[in-house]
Amino acid sequence: MCHEVKLEFIFLLPIFLPLLTSIFLFLNKKLFNELVTNFFTLNGSLLSFAIASYSFIALALNKFKAVNIELFQWISNPDISIGFTLDGLSGIMLVLVTGLSFVIQLFSTSYMEKDDNHSNYFVYFNFFVFSMLLLVMSSNFLVMFFGWELVGLSSYLLISFWSKKTEAAKAGNKAFVINRVGDFGFLIGLMIILDTFNTFDFYEILHNSTGVNENTITAISLFLLLGAFGKSAQFPLFSWLPDAMEGPTPASALIHAATMVTAGVFMLVRISPLLQHSKLASLLIIVFGLITALLAAFSAINQYDIKKVLAYSTISQLGFMFIAIGAGAYVAAIFHLVTHAFFKALLFLGAGAVIHSMHHEQDIRKMGGLRKKMPVTAAMMGIGTLAISGIPPLAGFWSKDEILASVFANGGIYYIFWALTLGAAFLTAFYMGRHWLLIFEKDNGFDHSDVSEAPKAMTRPLLLLGIFSVFIGFINTPFFHGLEKVLHVTLENVEVTHLPEGITLVVLAVLSIGAGFTGLIIAFLLFGIELHKRIDLQKFKLEYPINLIKDLSLNVLYLNKFGNLFFVSGMKNLSRKVAVVVDGMLIDGSVNFVSTAFNKTSKITSTTQTGMVRNYVVYFGLFLLLLIALFLATPMVPR
Amino acid sequence: MVEALLFFAPASLIIIGALIVIFARNPVHNAMGLVMTLVSLAIIYITLNATFVAMVQMLVYAGAVMTLFLFVIMMIGVDKKEQSTDSIKGQTFLVSGVFLILISLLAYVAISSDFKWDLWFPPVEYDTEGTPQLIAGVLFTEWIFPFEIISILLIVATAAAIALAYDTKKRNSNA
Amino acid sequence: MTQRKEIVMLEVTTDWYLTLAAMLFSIGFLGMMIRKNALIMFMCIELMLNAVNLTFISASKHFGQIDGQVFVFFVLVVAAAEVVVGLAIIVSIFRKQSSASVDVLNVSRG
Repeated sequence: MCHEVKLEFIFLLPIFLPLLTSIFLFLNKKLFNELVTNFFTLNGSLLSFAIASYSFIALALNKFKAVNIELFQWISNPDISIGFTLDGLSGIMLVLVTGLSFVIQLFSTSYMEKDDNHSNYFVYFNFFVFSMLLLVMSSNFLVMFFGWELVGLSSYLLISFWSKKTEAAKAGNKAFVINRVGDFGFLIGLMIILDTFNTFDFYEILHNSTGVNENTITAISLFLLLGAFGKSAQFPLFSWLPDAMEGPTPASALIHAATMVTAGVFMLVRISPLLQHSKLASLLIIVFGLITALLAAFSAINQYDIKKVLAYSTISQLGFMFIAIGAGAYVAAIFHLVTHAFFKALLFLGAGAVIHSMHHEQDIRKMGGLRKKMPVTAAMMGIGTLAISGIPPLAGFWSKDEILASVFANGGIYYIFWALTLGAAFLTAFYMGRHWLLIFEKDNGFDHSDVSEAPKAMTRPLLLLGIFSVFIGFINTPFFHGLEKVLHVTLENVEVTHLPEGITLVVLAVLSIGAGFTGLIIAFLLFGIELHKRIDLQKFKLEYPINLIKDLSLNVLYLNKFGNLFFVSGMKNLSRKVAVVVDGMLIDGSVNFVSTAFNKTSKITSTTQTGMVRNYVVYFGLFLLLLIALFLATPMVPR
Repeated sequence: MVEALLFFAPASLIIIGALIVIFARNPVHNAMGLVMTLVSLAIIYITLNATFVAMVQMLVYAGAVMTLFLFVIMMIGVDKKEQSTDSIKGQTFLVSGVFLILISLLAYVAISSDFKWDLWFPPVEYDTEGTPQLIAGVLFTEWIFPFEIISILLIVATAAAIALAYDTKKRNSNA
Repeated sequence: MTQRKEIVMLEVTTDWYLTLAAMLFSIGFLGMMIRKNALIMFMCIELMLNAVNLTFISASKHFGQIDGQVFVFFVLVVAAAEVVVGLAIIVSIFRKQSSASVDVLNVSRG
């Protein structure tokens, strides 16, 4: 009894501690200097992480039985309340978010040194951690929606952090607006849920979903899916993520790599008992995930900004997670979420270290040969690149392989999906290899004499994340299904796709390793030893297609330009037309019309006022006769 | 027979007199037409047993009022060259409209009562004598209040007429 | 046998007088609309007033009450007073002008 009581309320602490830190730092903005701010925020996040780990271990010892706390009930019918839950799924996310937030805050103390808005950054950062935890620890859709919206807000605040730059402000606006489009779908989904189930509680909904009409479930899934698309930057709502790179790099590392963008994936896994009943929704998820993965990977192969490559890479990997969900492999999706969080955060922080040392230069064409100057960073980013390419025994291999195997296991049309996913994996390896080689290996002849290794506060987190990227994969191998055990209770009603057995599995693994290696080798050939400059390409007539690919890739298939033209300029024109026609002509016109009509009528009626006696006599007679006629018309009864 | 004659003769005189009033060119002719109307009207009053009123009418209307009219005509109204009718813009249209409505009303009344001339209330059998005694008996008892008021009205009218027609310039120049 | 042509006795009932009064009134009204001379318009007013008097007298005979004739009395007095004042006004207005037309009096034109 005692043990359970302690567990119940203690897991709320990690959620509200960042909020307290945020408010505390906000109130004392002018008072504290950088050192004091760093002290409070680092200790706060370390404490949150410690409590989170303790809660997770306690949960594990209790065989992952879910713990629900209801803080207070808002409305009784329909049943809406504020509550939190700690089960396998939310526990993993809790530990992940608090842990990464600590590591990245450690990095930020050095990165944001001497910045004017130092304390504001940590206020926003902690507020973001609070909202993300609100989202993952929620026990009903309402609290999740609160977290959902607040996360969007924090993201906006952090993207447009250097608000004096116009691009940063515009990027923040774009992120918020595109998110809003997704939230519109989310809200409609919530309304349908409330109408169908009369409650928002996850436990009630997910355990009573069998009797519901399939069309309703499909509708709910599709609308919630729209929300997930917005938050997780899937096609067509993805263009905000590359622009979000205007924010500080550690913020991008946390938000746009590891936590906020995975909220969509998390939400879909949360409603997986519902999702599994709708074939249409699952099909749409995998199709859109594939389109996103391929599109983003294609765009990443010719980007020049160090962070934009990573941004498109994130979109592509999120596409992988959506593919996993669409194929019914919910455990694989969460597994990839976890591994991706680590090596993507590592890559982003490494990029941050490079940017910091290169005095805020972000074009990778101007870098090169930095391996000798920044050995630790180069090594860690190398580990990250290998991990994302799916080279065993690093983390990315296990999760990516599991996704590919699960897609294959579904059969039928999914064989084609598997082939396309394999292609996306190949592209991933290729562009990440290019990325690493262009920064660290090839010497372009630029002057890098003032570049040195990043300070210790930056390299230590890199080392930590590097170690994790190597070993985190072992939590869910085909030999040890650790993650499956964790999520077992959460997914108890869900039909999870099983991996193929035996020789099929080995063949699939070999093929995915092969794809990764091929990508890296081709990248090495093109950007390491520059094979294409030594061979005369005219012989193969490849020059035009290669230039075309390069151009399309850089401009993201001109999708952004098309979107801009259609939506932004289109909306502007429409607004102008409405302003002129509707407001100017119709509304102003009708008001003016009333006054002119009034004027004209009064002019006409004033012609009767002639001032001539004889006219008035005639009127007199006219109305007298009218009176008589009226008199005659009414029936009279003789007395 | 006699009654019919007694009605039709003055009636026709009345109508002719009225038509002379509105159609004659010379204002004096108008006045004469009006006199004819008033005298014939007095005759009709006598046939209706209103003898006192007929006498008063002759004295006041045909005597005093018409004399006043003729005085004013002499002062300003003698203008032979003036047209009897002069149309204002749209006047004929309005007038004909009024006439049309009048005719239609009359037609309606005539048709709806099937050309019968019955009145709502039936006539009484006895005759009233319009003797001065009878009129005075009512006038000074029941109608005393309006009687006093019209006496005041007469005085006020006289004073007003003098005040209006007072020509200060001429008076001062004469004095 | 003496053949007697049946003489239809034309009985002069009250409605005859009322009809006569109505005709007189409408003629007076018509005159008011048509004529331009102020004095003649006044005479038409007199016509109308006399028509009203006739109506009163015939109504008094019809109902056998004397009040109708008393009221004629009052109408007579009022008409006389009105003529006095009206003619005084006309005199004072038209002393300055050569013609007595009412068409020039359009000051109240709006």
